[in-house]
Amino acid sequence: MPVRVVDSSAPSQVSGGNSGSTCPQPCTLLSVGQAFSGTQNVSNVQKDEAWRVNVRIQGFDLDHGYLCGTMEALNVPMADTPVITFWEGEIVDTKNHTFFTGKWEATLEDDIRHWSKFPSFSPLQSQVEADGGKSLDLSNYPYIFMRWKELYFVNVGTDCGLTIAGFYYVCFSCSDGSINGFYYDPNSSPFQKLELKSTNEGRSGFSFSSYQLQ
Amino acid sequence: MLVTLSLPSSTSHEITLPLSTMPASVSPAASTIRPSTDTLIRLASSDHGIQLKALRDVKNQIIGNRTKKLVYIKLGAVPAVASVLADALDGSGHSSTDLLVQSAAALGSFACGVDAGVRAVLDSGALPSLIQLLSNHDEKVIGSAARSLKLLYQSKLAPKYDLSENGSVELLHSLLNSENENANGLAASIIAHSCKASAEQKAFCLNGILAKLIDLLGGSISQRDASLESLASIMKSNHEVASQFVKYERGQALNLLVNLTNERSTRTRLLACACLITLRNVSSTYLRGRGTETKLVRYLVELLEEPGQVGEEASFALSSFIEDDEHLQKLAFDANAIDVLCNHLQKDPLQPKRLEGILIALARMCSRLEFCRAKFLQMQAFNSVSEALHHDCADVRGAACICMRNVTRSVQNLSAGFFMNENIVIPLLELLHDPNPFIQLEALCAISNIVVNFRTSNSSFIRWGGLKQLVQLSVSMDPAIRSNSLCAIRNLTFEADNKCKAEVFKELTASSLASLMSDPDPSVQEQALAIARNLTGGSLESIQYAFAEGGIILDAVQRQLECASTVESGIQGIFVLSNVASGRDAHKDAVMDRLLHNMGSGSNPPYLLRFMQSNDSSLRTASLWLVVNLASPSCMGASRRIAKLRKAGVVSQLKIMVKDPCLDVKHRVTTILGQYLTFDDS
Repeated sequence: MPVRVVDSSAPSQVSGGNSGSTCPQPCTLLSVGQAFSGTQNVSNVQKDEAWRVNVRIQGFDLDHGYLCGTMEALNVPMADTPVITFWEGEIVDTKNHTFFTGKWEATLEDDIRHWSKFPSFSPLQSQVEADGGKSLDLSNYPYIFMRWKELYFVNVGTDCGLTIAGFYYVCFSCSDGSINGFYYDPNSSPFQKLELKSTNEGRSGFSFSSYQLQ
Repeated sequence: MLVTLSLPSSTSHEITLPLSTMPASVSPAASTIRPSTDTLIRLASSDHGIQLKALRDVKNQIIGNRTKKLVYIKLGAVPAVASVLADALDGSGHSSTDLLVQSAAALGSFACGVDAGVRAVLDSGALPSLIQLLSNHDEKVIGSAARSLKLLYQSKLAPKYDLSENGSVELLHSLLNSENENANGLAASIIAHSCKASAEQKAFCLNGILAKLIDLLGGSISQRDASLESLASIMKSNHEVASQFVKYERGQALNLLVNLTNERSTRTRLLACACLITLRNVSSTYLRGRGTETKLVRYLVELLEEPGQVGEEASFALSSFIEDDEHLQKLAFDANAIDVLCNHLQKDPLQPKRLEGILIALARMCSRLEFCRAKFLQMQAFNSVSEALHHDCADVRGAACICMRNVTRSVQNLSAGFFMNENIVIPLLELLHDPNPFIQLEALCAISNIVVNFRTSNSSFIRWGGLKQLVQLSVSMDPAIRSNSLCAIRNLTFEADNKCKAEVFKELTASSLASLMSDPDPSVQEQALAIARNLTGGSLESIQYAFAEGGIILDAVQRQLECASTVESGIQGIFVLSNVASGRDAHKDAVMDRLLHNMGSGSNPPYLLRFMQSNDSSLRTASLWLVVNLASPSCMGASRRIAKLRKAGVVSQLKIMVKDPCLDVKHRVTTILGQYLTFDDS
């Protein structure tokens, strides 16, 4: 199995002139075609429930801090079939997007509250609280932080009884491709947790495909 | 298809001169007169009246009629008309004036838009005569000569204006100074034609033309417009001249230029904008700090609404301005450019030139920014783009293809399957056979994007004959067509289901794919390797494609890796091996054998080690994924393969890479060394 590497070094702060990029570096495990599977915990007061979830990356544009893909929720009680949504993501790169959401009814406090649930966020917390993390150098940080927002249902109607009003705070581990996330929606149970691992579709190793837009 | 900033002035087309006072006679309608040698006889007549009538007959027939022009040229009419001109130059009196006017006009008509006509006029020696007419005392003669010379100088066949020739600088000055707008327009044409190379531009500056042009920015409307056109030509892509302009009288010329963007005359505003765009294209610093970029975009968007040539040219100017510049595209978006363009697009009918301009402008707007594409699609004007694919005019079809290509970069809409629609795909497939190679290529690029289909099946595309066509094009004589058709096939196979992959493989064939990997063109090689990568990715059974027909694909990949001419080929090839090595033990061993064969050959450093040492981080990363997969402990033969990799020096190389500057590389190295440690008993 790949060995998990825990890098406890905090990212450096940029002082004065910046000779290189401070944005996250590309990672092959977070590229188009990559698939992840795991669960989303949708527990509420009445019961514990977890949906199996598959995610696939379809678009990735590091320069613009953008990615997108689909999310498939299996064993959804209200649905006869797996429910697929299309989502777009913002990569927190301090250039295009900071740790502050600034929309989707998420306040600064909501942001800090959610980001701080990721252990990998703690070295960054003080700087983020100060300026949203704008002066952080994330280029050598082994985690990539994102927000994922589902935009529409791909295979069911909006009357399916499910909501996509909220968004996910997401943390991706560059070393092993695992993803953790917390769903935020002021009208839903708080801190529903998303836990995904990079999948390899029955292979003993990783395969990679690519496309090229003209 | 180039979008240029040189704007033809309003008199760049043939016009009919007013009739002079000649004995009235009933003239048969021009369309009923056939070109014949009788015309030549009449042109050679000693009777000026007969000559004049013959000239008018010829002129009236050929205006706007390319076929008749060519017939008369073949008959030898141009030298005959030139002869009339030359004789009339020696004469005097009223009849001579009419002959001068009509013969000059006829020569201009022959030269308008027809290369054979331009050649015939030049070969007849009429050019010096026409230039001589510019010094005539009669304004009608000057006007006629100036219009005709302007038409001549619009052709690339016209000779460059030689400033070193006696009197030529003075003539140019006098044309610029003239109150006659045709003379001003001619000066602009001459300068635009003769200022292509940097040395030519500099020559015009050295002869005081730059200063004269700046001076005339404060002249009459036509002097000003001619100056603006000429300045754009002289400064285009020329740092030295542009810098001289910007520094002229401590920025006064630039201020004047900026002020002209506010002029009442829409044509002046447009020409001033075009001139500023030329400056900005030389250096963005020239307009910095003035808010000029924002204003320029706003003015151009406003000018889009103008009727006629100004509105038409505004879209080309806007396209040229915002091309490849996200910041400017955003400014244009904020100025509601997309709304304005889409509203025009949906008006019916549109002149071809205007339609072309709108489509090109929309294409540039949608080239990089997703929110621009989203806005465009929201405006519901996309059907107009699909319809334009069928247009009679090639320039419009080409512009529609470019627009399609850029809009279909929208991953969100590709994911939704929005473009996989017969109203879009079938016309594009038809354009793969367009007589214009540029259109074929742009259509192919649009198709290449559309087939990145993610979740929806590509069976419709295959059913419409798309795959067959792409495979046919993969053996085109044109390397760009080969490369782009393979790119389309690559995109078709991205995350494709087994059925689609099987159809692609059957149509393309293993031998053809293997052969394309060794194509003389590197980009063709890369795309062929990328297809193999996609075919072998995804479900486990897809690995079989690498072993089809005795493994010719794997052998071809191996050969390419041994002599990889580009980094991209190396990346794609290594990922093919890596995908295969993510399979079962037998697959991993097959890859391992090929690696060892290469390592044992001894003639060059083994490609795996070369790639691990590459300056390119993507290539280093790709090679590490191969090692990750070979050393994957989930298969029984892992320890055996790791031992072989160690013996081949791979593990030593890995230890050097522990501090690689690329984070992705570092993580893979850590993974592999961790796997290695699982089996290492030392």
